[in-house]
Amino acid sequence: MSVALLSSQLRSFMSRSLAPENPAGGEEFNRLALALFAFQRENVPIYRELCQRRKAGPESVADWRDIPAVPTRVFKEYEVSSIPAGERTRAFYSSGTTGQVRSRHFHNAESLSLYEASLLPWFQRHFFGLLPPPMRLLFLSPETAAHSSLVHMLTTVRRHFGTPESVFTGREEADGAWSLDMEQTLAAVRDAVGDNTPLGLLGTAFSFVQLLDHLQAAGKRFALPKGSRVMETGGYKGRARALTKAQLRQMFSKFLGLPASQVLAEYGMSELSAQAYDNPAGVFGFPPWARACVISPETGAPSGEGETGLLRVFDLANIASVMAVQTEDLAVRRGDDFELLGRASSAEPRGCSLLPVA
Amino acid sequence: MNLPNYFLADLPSEAELNAALITEACQTLKRNGQQFLQGRTTGSIIHTLDRLGRDWLSEDFPFRQELLKLSPAATGFSAAVLAAGLDQFFQQLTGENLESLLRQELGRAQRLDEFLPNEDEGKSARSALALGPRLLVHIAPGNIPLPALTEMMLGLLARSAQFVKCGSGQSLIPRMFAHSLYEADHKLGACLEIASWKGGAENLESVLLAEADCIVATGSDETLAAIRRKAPPSARFIGHGAKVSFGYVTLEAMEHQARQVAERAAADVTAWNQRGCLSPHVIYVEEQGGGTGGEFANLLAEKLEAAEQTHPRGALNARDAAAIAMRRAFYEVRAAHSPDTRIWASRESTAWTVILENDPRFEISCQNRFIYVKVVTELSHALQGAEPVSDKISTVGLACAPAQTAALARTLARWGAKRICPLGRMQQPPLGWRHDGRPPLGDLVTWIDWEKQ
Repeated sequence: MSVALLSSQLRSFMSRSLAPENPAGGEEFNRLALALFAFQRENVPIYRELCQRRKAGPESVADWRDIPAVPTRVFKEYEVSSIPAGERTRAFYSSGTTGQVRSRHFHNAESLSLYEASLLPWFQRHFFGLLPPPMRLLFLSPETAAHSSLVHMLTTVRRHFGTPESVFTGREEADGAWSLDMEQTLAAVRDAVGDNTPLGLLGTAFSFVQLLDHLQAAGKRFALPKGSRVMETGGYKGRARALTKAQLRQMFSKFLGLPASQVLAEYGMSELSAQAYDNPAGVFGFPPWARACVISPETGAPSGEGETGLLRVFDLANIASVMAVQTEDLAVRRGDDFELLGRASSAEPRGCSLLPVA
Repeated sequence: MNLPNYFLADLPSEAELNAALITEACQTLKRNGQQFLQGRTTGSIIHTLDRLGRDWLSEDFPFRQELLKLSPAATGFSAAVLAAGLDQFFQQLTGENLESLLRQELGRAQRLDEFLPNEDEGKSARSALALGPRLLVHIAPGNIPLPALTEMMLGLLARSAQFVKCGSGQSLIPRMFAHSLYEADHKLGACLEIASWKGGAENLESVLLAEADCIVATGSDETLAAIRRKAPPSARFIGHGAKVSFGYVTLEAMEHQARQVAERAAADVTAWNQRGCLSPHVIYVEEQGGGTGGEFANLLAEKLEAAEQTHPRGALNARDAAAIAMRRAFYEVRAAHSPDTRIWASRESTAWTVILENDPRFEISCQNRFIYVKVVTELSHALQGAEPVSDKISTVGLACAPAQTAALARTLARWGAKRICPLGRMQQPPLGWRHDGRPPLGDLVTWIDWEKQ
């Protein structure tokens, strides 16, 4: 199947699968997953090599769960892409500091457009719920960071859902680290309070910790107008003190007057195109065109309900790389969804022996 | 077995610990040390340890039986792995070895009892007495138990009252040893305290360190720096930072004894499930186009599979199993891409993994029997690959022709290795080995010089 035809079938599936009258569409997901698998096996060289080694091809794989997954670490060492080198218009890198090897996910106009088609409806459903956009949005991230999939996501969100007052208050430093313009951030918060207009705040957990720590140190508190919301994403990676989700939510409530019900957590990564959002119980769900599986690290078999394992994502929106991505995150299986436990590789050095802190 | 509540670690919950309990325990220890240790002779302590060592080797010894029963759930080590490690340690704990250790460290065996000259001092009417710290505090590593047992043995020889602080939930093995000592000799047992809590608990650690005359700590560089900051300036601080080890196999060894070499390497990977600082992360294998690397890796895989039958690794928590699963998945892609990488792995479990790579770069293993085999042309090639960790190397296990050993050892010593031993014995250091190149007992004592004329 050609990429254009695949892409149009995927779009059609995406738009239909969110309609209330259309249940999950398991069969169609499977059919599209297998078609995409066949295409990527053919057109992503490193993936073809893996599949050949596993003897996995269209003739042997009938169920999407059996499609070989590519570990995120492979995106650091190899170009996992079906787009020929000269036709890649965009590359998203995993976050990291100078000197670290980062994952690279290549895109072109076609794959970016599918990325946006995947992003917008699922974001809208979770961030806005029944409230109609547009909304005044405050992004605690830089507005331009060429290789950040998160910044691309946020600018896309702004373009579609933000009012003209929406603002980015982060900066990208020379070493690639992000900082926050605190004055500008506080001004945006004050404006929203002054105008009594709901404010949507979006950013990484570590940016929010910077803001909340600042408010705590300065003894400032705000009560954001009703309807205000937060979307936080990503970990800390040593750039701020790490808080548990509960601690972070407590601070949102204390310093911004936002109840926990108004704080949404996002799970996404540069190697994926779809995003998952959590529900009030802390369980994350992907849109119908991406499926999460929790895999027992011991046996490689799917974990049972409530069991812990490694999260594997089958993301049909990942058209130009591989749809089956093996993450390094530990998760607990909750039905078709998952609870996130965090990175499996961030094990601390133990005792007298040196362990990697990846 | 119902153990009496002698130690803080016997409390049903770590949460019951508080600063007052720690202070009180330290003061009791110091009193007991004064009363029960100062008058003890080296001979009587050696006698007790020697007997205890033999007890622990007996399969009928109740403490050993209880420990082997509790271990899989509490420590993750299967009974067979733990039994092998304990046997190795207690076989060394003999009167003869203890006396050699004392002579190695102090020149003569009785210099903790009375003023005695060594050979040279005698000629100039000098003499010296060695005294141990009154209260010795151990911050014990959580990965494997032997360092704690070794330190406790050294502390007893030095006549120090000792407080052994273990990581949260990691006190079982030191605690069982302490109970066995208490049973054998109440007075010596009363000079020991065992407790466990999660490292960094400020309220507990500051009072504990404040009482210490000497602190022996094992842990990451950050942990050591934090403890050193909290320690009183008057206390002696001995820090053992994180270390790694590797094996080295020469062409000659492979030519004559490939199977035995692989078997010895498997023993080093299996011992303590590769979790200690003396366990190999990488085994370098010399090759000059003849495929010895692949041959060795293949044999090693065979031996690890066999070891899984006799000395099963035991269950891992999800995080440790995930670390193995993720690496395997990555190397599988690399192996699919290039013949320079090959992988051998246990089926439907993470029990063991061998990664063969034609690249000398040192890799830190995720442990639990995940071993890298790296093909090199000669020793200097391997040392180039290991250069980034040259200051972190503890042991190098060698498999080579006897004629090669001395030259290899000299090169490795100049390069940074602290201990060189035969492959297969990496996790079996002798009682008197010098951890991090430091004198084990000599570092603890203070000398009192007496010039008679």
